[in-house]
This record gives sequence, C-alpha cells and structure tokens, in this order.
Amino acid sequence: MSGKPEKLITDDGLRLDGRRMDEIRPMKIEIGVLSRADGSCYLEWGRNKILVGVYGPREAHPRRMQRPDSAVIRYRYNMAAFSVEDRARPGHSRRSIEISKVSRDAFEPVIMSELYPKAAIDIFVEVLQADAGTRTAAINASAVALADAGIPMRGLVTSCAFGKVDGQVVLDLSKDEDNYGEADFPVAMTQDGEITLVQMDGHLTQDEIKRGLELVKKGCSQIFALQQAVLRTKFEFPEAEEADELEEGEAVEAAEAEISEVAAKYAGATEVEEAAEAGEVISEAEEEAEEEAEEEAEEEAEEEAEEEAEEEAEEEAEEEAEEEAEEEAEEEAEEEAEEEAEDELEDEDEELEAEEEAEEEELEDEDKELEAEEEAEEEAEEEELEDELEDEEELEAEEEAEEEEDEIPAEEPEEDSEKEAEEEEKSEGPWKVVKDPLDPEAGNGGENDE
Amino acid sequence: MSDVIPTLKRDYIYNLMVKGKRLDGRGFEDFRDIKLETNVIAKAEGSAKVTLGKTQVLVGVKLQTGTPFSDSRDEGVIITNLELNPIASPSFEPGPPREEAIEMARVVDRGIRESGAIDIKKLCITEGESVWIAFIDIHVLNDEGNIIDASCLAGIGALMTTMVPNEMAGIGEDAPLEMKEMPVGVTIAKIGEKLMVDPGRYEEAVCETKLTVVSSSDGSVNGMQKIGSASLTEDELLEAIELARKKAEEIREEFLVGLERKD
Repeated sequence: MSGKPEKLITDDGLRLDGRRMDEIRPMKIEIGVLSRADGSCYLEWGRNKILVGVYGPREAHPRRMQRPDSAVIRYRYNMAAFSVEDRARPGHSRRSIEISKVSRDAFEPVIMSELYPKAAIDIFVEVLQADAGTRTAAINASAVALADAGIPMRGLVTSCAFGKVDGQVVLDLSKDEDNYGEADFPVAMTQDGEITLVQMDGHLTQDEIKRGLELVKKGCSQIFALQQAVLRTKFEFPEAEEADELEEGEAVEAAEAEISEVAAKYAGATEVEEAAEAGEVISEAEEEAEEEAEEEAEEEAEEEAEEEAEEEAEEEAEEEAEEEAEEEAEEEAEEEAEEEAEDELEDEDEELEAEEEAEEEELEDEDKELEAEEEAEEEAEEEELEDELEDEEELEAEEEAEEEEDEIPAEEPEEDSEKEAEEEEKSEGPWKVVKDPLDPEAGNGGENDE
Repeated sequence: MSDVIPTLKRDYIYNLMVKGKRLDGRGFEDFRDIKLETNVIAKAEGSAKVTLGKTQVLVGVKLQTGTPFSDSRDEGVIITNLELNPIASPSFEPGPPREEAIEMARVVDRGIRESGAIDIKKLCITEGESVWIAFIDIHVLNDEGNIIDASCLAGIGALMTTMVPNEMAGIGEDAPLEMKEMPVGVTIAKIGEKLMVDPGRYEEAVCETKLTVVSSSDGSVNGMQKIGSASLTEDELLEAIELARKKAEEIREEFLVGLERKD
C-alpha cells in the first residue's frame, strides 16, 4: 500500500477518485452467473469483485442444525487469498466470522424462513477482489442472488457505508478513505428504511451520524434501483407495448448510468486508454445512441423529470456511448483477468491442502487463530508471540498455570479437527461455486479440492 | 447463547414489556446494579471484575514485549479475546470461540482502539524492533445477560489500573499504563417498539435485536454494532444512540473517573 495521501479531499471539494461527497463508486451487477447454484450474482463495485451463490431451500445438514419451525439461514463470507494486497490466509478468520454473522443478521428480517422448516438456505460469498466495502458489496450481491434463487423475501436488502474523511461525512468509502479516514459506518436497509445492519468504528458525533444516514439512504436507493433493474432483465416479461422501450439491459444501463455519473472521471488512466482503444465501438455506439436518444429521454422522464430528460438527451447519448464502449473494453479485460484468476485458484487449492495438513500438525497455530486479527501480518506476529509465550511458560514454575495451558491445547486439537472437518464439508460448496461457473476451463481446481 | 425459553414464559415477558414493565421491576433506562473491582488478579498487569446484576465478567491484561507490525513500526499492539467459558452458562461449551464470542471481542476491541483509550505510540519501546503487546483477555464467569457491556467496563477498568512491567523488560521502572480516554459500551435491546438498556438473560432471548454503542467522554461514538436478527428504524437507531451516550456518561462518572491503581 502506498502511504497516507496528504489530503483525502482535494481543494476543489472532490475526493481523490473524483467523486463528490455523496457519490458512490460505479457498480455493475450480473445475475444468474453460476449454473449449479440455485441463485447467483456477480457484482463489481469500484474495484471490488464479489461472487455470490445461493443454495436452497435444501435439507439442512448436519441435522442438529435444523430448526423445527423455520429454515436456518447460513451466510459464509470468504475472501480469496489473492483478493488483497498481502495474501490472505485461506479459511475463516475472526474478521470473516464476524462479517458472516452480521450479514446473516441483515437478511434474517427479510427472508421468509418460516416457510421452510428444517431446511437450510445457504449464501456463499466469495470476495475475489477486495477494495474497501466488501461486506456491503456482498450484501447487495446476496440480495440479488437470493431473489434469483426464488427465495421468498419481504424485500431486497441494500447496503452502503458512510464514513468521515478529513472531517467531512462522505458516502461509500474508497480504500484510502477507509484506511486513513476517521470513521466507517456500514449500514444495510430494506427499501422501507428498516435498518438491518449497523456497524461502526471510528469517531462520530450524533450530528454526523444523522447526516451520514441521510447519505446512506440516498446511496441505497440508487443501488436498490440497480438491483431491481437487474432482476427485471431476468424475471419481467415486457408487455407488448413496452417491448420497444424495455429492450434487454436498457433499464440496467440507466440505473448504472445514474450511479456512475462520474465513471469517466473515476476510471483510472488504464480504463481511459482502453476506452480510446475501443474507439470504433464508441463511434458505433454514438450513432446508435443518437437514434436512441429520444427513447432514452422518454425513459428517463419516467424515472426523473420530463423536462430534464429532453435537455439531457444529448449529453446522455454521449455518456451512454462512452459507457458502452468502456463496458465492452472492461469485459474483455475482465475475461482475461478471470482466466488468470482461475489459474491462480488452482495453485491456491494445492497450497491450501498442503497448508491444512501442516496446520493439523501445528497445534500452536490453532491458538494463534483464536487471537488472530484481521491483518495477515498480524498472524505472522502472533507466531512469534506464541513462541515467546511458550518460553515464558517454561520459565514459570507455576504448576497451575502449566496444567491449564497443557490442558487447553490437548483439548483443542480434537475440537478443531472436528470443526475443520465440518468446515471442509461445508467448504465444498463454495469452492465449486468459484470454479464451475465462470467458465468450463475453470473446473479442475474444484476436483483437486474434492 | 440464550437458553431455550418456553413459549409461555416468552409471552409473559413480552406482554409485560409491552405494558411498560420489566421482569425485575427496572425502568427501561435503568441498568442493573454495577460493581467494578480492580486489581483482583495479582499476576496480571491489570485486572478488573465487573458484576452487572448477576452477570460476572473478569478481565486480565497481560503485557509482553514483541515486534511491531511492518506497517505500524512505532505502535504497540492490542489483542482482545473473549471466552464464553462453560462455567458461565449451561449453553456454553468448551472449544474454540464461537461467532458470538468473536463478535463481542471485536466490538470491545474496536471501542478501546477507536476511542484512542490507549496511546499505542507510547507502547513502542524501540521503533521497528520492540513494542508492548497488550493482551486483553475477557473471561465470562456467569451469564445473566449483557455480557458485552460488562466486558467493556471490565476491560477499560483493567487497562486503567495496568502497570507496564518495564523492570521485567529491563527498561526502567514499572509505570502505570497511560490512558487517554474512557470508552463505555451500552447495549440497548429492542422489544416490541420499546428500547431498553442492559437486557437481562431473558430479555436478550425475547428481544428482537440489540444495539451496542461504545461512546467516549466527548460524547462521540467510537463503535457500534447491531447484534441480533431483527431490524431497526432510523428513529430507533438515533434514539438508541442518544440513550446509550447518556447512560455511558453516567457509568463513566460513577465508576471510571478517578479510578486509579491502588497497590
């Protein structure tokens, strides 16, 4: 990571990535991207890449987890080892356990689990690339994937964070803002404004919290519109009259466009270059866009104000065109990136197995996990600490203490190996999830795991 | 975490509370009796025991030297761990910490860390080489509800009475750990449409959801977490924060201001 930037908000009142205080990063959502899962969603938000697969309602295993009066909801947030700058240790960390729990709590109020006694609804989240705000991105994707799976819900859940940087309340923190800002406040809510997730750390006054919640409501309503539009592409059959207007993806693009007003500004230099390369596409798209401009205007009018639409039509045509071009360029780049990622995944799997074996032997490692903090680095530190701890234990002649210490490790390996076994069982699903879907070539890694 | 409560009892508690009463006769904004004892474990560098009604939590702070992280070479390290010991409740089992325990530990940790209670730069011994690592170990001894507030209070009480064992590390005389802030966690439970502080064991089992708010003496909020499966409205959230800050101030005044280590 580069060091702390001098200012997180520039003199012209914009943030480092060109956004205003109340703007969220560009978001892209795809639905139904996995063939094996009952519902799935791929979501990009800024540089976050999140894949969610939903399985169920299906019989809950192990049986003791079954609830006689409702389905059990399980949410597994998992970070790919390569998703962050310093390799993340595969498997559950204390951070991911906490995020899984609060995210599950965020969905409990909306999922109609009472309809499926003894069943399980599994939500598997794979963070493929992390860049601040993964838990909120994962919740947005999970809501779409749940709907894709046809799970009855009272509403969608939409999530967005606000925070404080350079003393200002801002919406949807970027990585630098998250690292060097003064507060981070993730929220999830339904479209009725029921708040289903609240977390916060940092330093905020009551007034700042109030202002932040206003921002979050704005961000969430934009995201909600995109989620809805994406679901419509899959589930809504256009009426005969509207068929022209509701060409596939148009609504999605409109919603995306609203979110990424600043996409061009925000997009890094590389993306601009890519867009330039895709110049032909732009001109094509421009022609198309001109033709479509009126239609576009009409659609906009429905969502916003009629007068504005006509004025904006021209501008928008251009924006649309650029965006389409960018998107295509992005997609190409993505495909490449994905292929690379899959290759990595295979390697990761092998490593993972080797590591797991090693772990079983090293009982001390388990203790370490208990105390481990988010940062992978910390784990390394812990190792040293453990060593020191041991040394001290040897020095201390206190029998009581030693007995205790001896007992704990003796007990835990059993527990842990049991738990590990369980978790391995569980993790079969998500690993498949990552591989199966994206493309057929990716399948090998999954077999290693099995 | 909570025991199974028969439906009848659940209905009774719920109806009572909807009528504006609580099981033990408290008002909605009343904590149970709090007792904070410090220096209860001589072997620990700092320790505190909090009794909240019948809930008992014991916190020990141990300081050890270690190497700093590469991205914060001049800062000490804080590690918070919480154990739901099987001694504390028939529903706790031995083994690695469950998600509830991890969640609570991390909320307590964030409160201490984000409020700046400990000046972690002062925990640096030699930049990049040697720093103090503060282990805050929370032992839950008896669970009658609201473990998290008891843990927050015991944690900060233990830290405020911690001696840095400089002599042991060969770097001078032992000295009290410098504290800059006194964060206090207050948990609000939502039952029906009502908000109440310090939920007891049965109230925890019945409530829709809880919100833990950690705030410090300037009135700012340093950590927050919704714990539980129901939702809150925005008004409820803001009301809960306001209430939590008020109660936190009362607790800080009564138990923490002027707290010093007495050997």
